[in-house]
Amino acid sequence: MESPKYELAGQRILSVVVVTPETTALETPAQFVALPLYDGEIGIAPGRAPLIGRLGYGEMRIVEGNETRRYYVDGGFVEMSGNTLTVLTHRAVPADQLDAEAAQQQLDEALRRPANSQELLAVRDRLILQARAQIRTARRAG
Amino acid sequence: MANPRALDKRRKSVRNIRKITRTMELIATARFKQAMDRAHAATAYTDRMKKLLHDLTRTGLEVTHPLLEPRETTHRGILLVLSSNRGLCGGYNGNLLRRAQARWEDFGQSVPQRELEVSGKRGLSFFKHRQQPVQEAFTHFEDKPRFDEVEVLANRYLNDYATGQLDRLDIAYTKFRSSARQEATVETLLPLGSMEEGLPEVDDQTAPAGRAESQYEFLPSAAQILEEVIPTSFKIRLFKCFLDAAVSEQIARMVAMKSATENADDLIRSLSRTYNRARQAQITGELLEVMGGVEALKE
Repeated sequence: MESPKYELAGQRILSVVVVTPETTALETPAQFVALPLYDGEIGIAPGRAPLIGRLGYGEMRIVEGNETRRYYVDGGFVEMSGNTLTVLTHRAVPADQLDAEAAQQQLDEALRRPANSQELLAVRDRLILQARAQIRTARRAG
Repeated sequence: MANPRALDKRRKSVRNIRKITRTMELIATARFKQAMDRAHAATAYTDRMKKLLHDLTRTGLEVTHPLLEPRETTHRGILLVLSSNRGLCGGYNGNLLRRAQARWEDFGQSVPQRELEVSGKRGLSFFKHRQQPVQEAFTHFEDKPRFDEVEVLANRYLNDYATGQLDRLDIAYTKFRSSARQEATVETLLPLGSMEEGLPEVDDQTAPAGRAESQYEFLPSAAQILEEVIPTSFKIRLFKCFLDAAVSEQIARMVAMKSATENADDLIRSLSRTYNRARQAQITGELLEVMGGVEALKE
């Protein structure tokens, strides 16, 4: 599967594919992509060395020309290979379509969850991270 | 039998039923196409996931995870049955529930604490009739199961498994092999056994040959990624079961309604024939009566 090489006015372009279990959410060329990794944000420019990374929860920015598209991604993986960036995530929601109120509600509920064992703590942390990332992404978009 | 009026009435009702089955066939066909498209769209994810896994394992990483290892003793096991909410789909539910029932009885011998979870009203009424308690019932999965709905279930199973409250998860669903063949199957989802199972094979031609080994940079580390890959592949497998069940249901309904329509056609034809014959017999009878009357008056 050789990736198509996008060239635009001498500028190097990356091809981005965002896939969720339900569908292929997005297929687009881009000049720069910022992704939330498990332990921090990563920026990817065309021609980056091959990479497999674990995604966290947060905002993905896809820069194409003068336009920046913002998405919320919900965990998953990212693979950079050839000049193609594949993002495998459970959910990819355009940032302006995020439901901040639902996220706030999830956060409130998560904060009330018991955390008296390792496993319960892990579940609680995950829910909190997820909710906070959604709220943050929604706020930045709004 | 020879009453033409009764025959005509019957023919009318068969015609009405034919209209209904024909419409249902068309609806099922449309839904089947939609469900098929969804199932097809989902393969993009599994394909890429498989490729990622392929690349990961090429680094020579030891694949171990609690989800992959069978438990020494099984205390609590769950059987999840995916049946349909609606009937009129031929043997779809019957076949599935028969398989599920057999596995449930197996469970009775090997699993001390067995629980039943059923999706679909048909399955619920089946187990209610048999007086088997159902712990969890779902009726919100229609012909378009959504990933976030399935994920809720998957997360609950994963959490229970991680905390040791669950030792085994089996699922009974109708597997979609091709549009001409679907079979009711029972599979063990937890422990996962082999991770590669359920994900389609990577076509070797798609993977570029002769690439340098382990050319990838892993962030944060290969082991960390693997830790996430395994629960995700469980979720995908569960989601695929739901998709398969939805597609198979529509196919079953389509086939059942098609043969019902054909049957109705046959019935209408034979009823028409009998009706015409009876009508003709009646006319002949009446003519004979009139002629008999004329002859009698002549005398």
